[in-house]
Amino acid sequence: MRAGLALALFASSAAAACEAPPGFAAAARVESRDTVVLYRTAPATIDVGERFAVDAFVCAKAPPAPTGVRVDARMPAHRHGMNYRARVTALGGGRYRAEGLLFHMPGNWQFVFDVERPARVERLTHDVVVE
Amino acid sequence: MKRAAALALALGVAGAAHAVELDPIELRLALRHGPWPQPVLRDPSNRVSGDPDAIALGQRLFFDPRLSGPGTLACASCHVPAQAWTDGRARAIGLAPLDRNTPTILDAGLQRWFGWDGAADTLWSFVLQPITDPREMGATASHVAQLVRADPVLACRYRRAFGQPVGGDDERTLVDLAKALAAYVETLNSGRTPFDDFRDALASGDATAIDRYPAAARRGLKLFVGRGRCSVCHFGPAFTNGEFHEIGIPFALGPGRVDAGRHDGIKRLRASRFNLLGPYNDDPTGAAAAKTRHLASSHANFGQFKTPGLRNVALTAPYMHNGRLATLRDVVKHYSELDPDRVHADGEALLRPLRLSEAEVDDLVAFLQTLTARTPTVPGAPPATADACGR
Repeated sequence: MRAGLALALFASSAAAACEAPPGFAAAARVESRDTVVLYRTAPATIDVGERFAVDAFVCAKAPPAPTGVRVDARMPAHRHGMNYRARVTALGGGRYRAEGLLFHMPGNWQFVFDVERPARVERLTHDVVVE
Repeated sequence: MKRAAALALALGVAGAAHAVELDPIELRLALRHGPWPQPVLRDPSNRVSGDPDAIALGQRLFFDPRLSGPGTLACASCHVPAQAWTDGRARAIGLAPLDRNTPTILDAGLQRWFGWDGAADTLWSFVLQPITDPREMGATASHVAQLVRADPVLACRYRRAFGQPVGGDDERTLVDLAKALAAYVETLNSGRTPFDDFRDALASGDATAIDRYPAAARRGLKLFVGRGRCSVCHFGPAFTNGEFHEIGIPFALGPGRVDAGRHDGIKRLRASRFNLLGPYNDDPTGAAAAKTRHLASSHANFGQFKTPGLRNVALTAPYMHNGRLATLRDVVKHYSELDPDRVHADGEALLRPLRLSEAEVDDLVAFLQTLTARTPTVPGAPPATADACGR
């Protein structure tokens, strides 16, 4: 019972710590047991054949803190990814910008966030439909 | 009021969709194939893109056989205006037989990559390839530069387009002339088609205009955006996503020779000093080079070729990167009877045989035929009188 309460209190404070920083209006929240990724695209609407960027805020629910993130995307049903490789720039405070993404087909895409932590990489995914 | 208008429009579109039995997803995809024409934006990597003097110089060069090494072949020898700017051959013949089909250059200004393998990232750098390839036009930078220096009319037009006389750097002169040619090719845009009228009628809910579109073409469109999933790759107003796919067309060229398509195209692009990362990119912001900087490559690129646009496709037979298929019907049947085992293991899971009936093949062909422009794109009239540069 006590353990349960302690866990609940910890989860509550961790969730609060993973809220978007001021001025960052995320469009989506992707979450695992240990990590939260909040992200938005620029421009907000992804058009087929048009380059776009991803702004992300990466947050650990518990230490150790992430050291970086790789951003990619794929079409699982088609068994292929993008024809372009995003380059990620760390902006500080857990914020990152990935540039150079381009979806070359309409359909079901999946963002892939590989969050780097000391000694491991955690993968979080988020599905989007592009028409 | 605004809300009421939006609702009325939505109802109109829904009613129009019902008339051609498109489901809502098919309707949205059909509408994505327009509007047409699309604005052709100036190419920031080409400082004379859109410049009338450069366009005039480019037009003159396009039809001038002296541009080739032996003086026998012009760009227009293969990109024949009366043949939808192709040559009607399965595989092109320059100074020697070539391995690939001559694509139309209509709407080239809308593309992201150039050539069947995308070995060029700008239209102007693509123009350099046929000019200097020994099997195509077989010219050199010094040959082309000397041609312009020695011809008073071309020299005058060069000066007008670039604001200075032809310099002593032959390679730079060749690149400048390629940029003038590209500026001309950017003006070659295809006209409106029966499909465009239909698409616009769908968008506005104009039932009368919708009824003018042939029933077989409507059924073909439904297959194109629906069960056939053709529009996944042949996407957007130009009917191409501008990228590369392996679709089960053999790429062996003969004993010991293969056409690796995009795989080699990326290698050639990265090795070229004429790419957007090189010294001839006129874009001071560097933004135009982003696609090249971010380009990824993988073994899946082997045997991939660019998705061609489908505007005027009925006029550009034969088809595929090697001209292997003679008719539109052959193309549709290729996808209908596709052998998945011929698409290599890294290929996309997108392709599967469509198993179309003969009537459905007819319908798809009927739809493709409605992508033909009502008015062919022909060269602008040459100046009737001599200007300051002469004729």
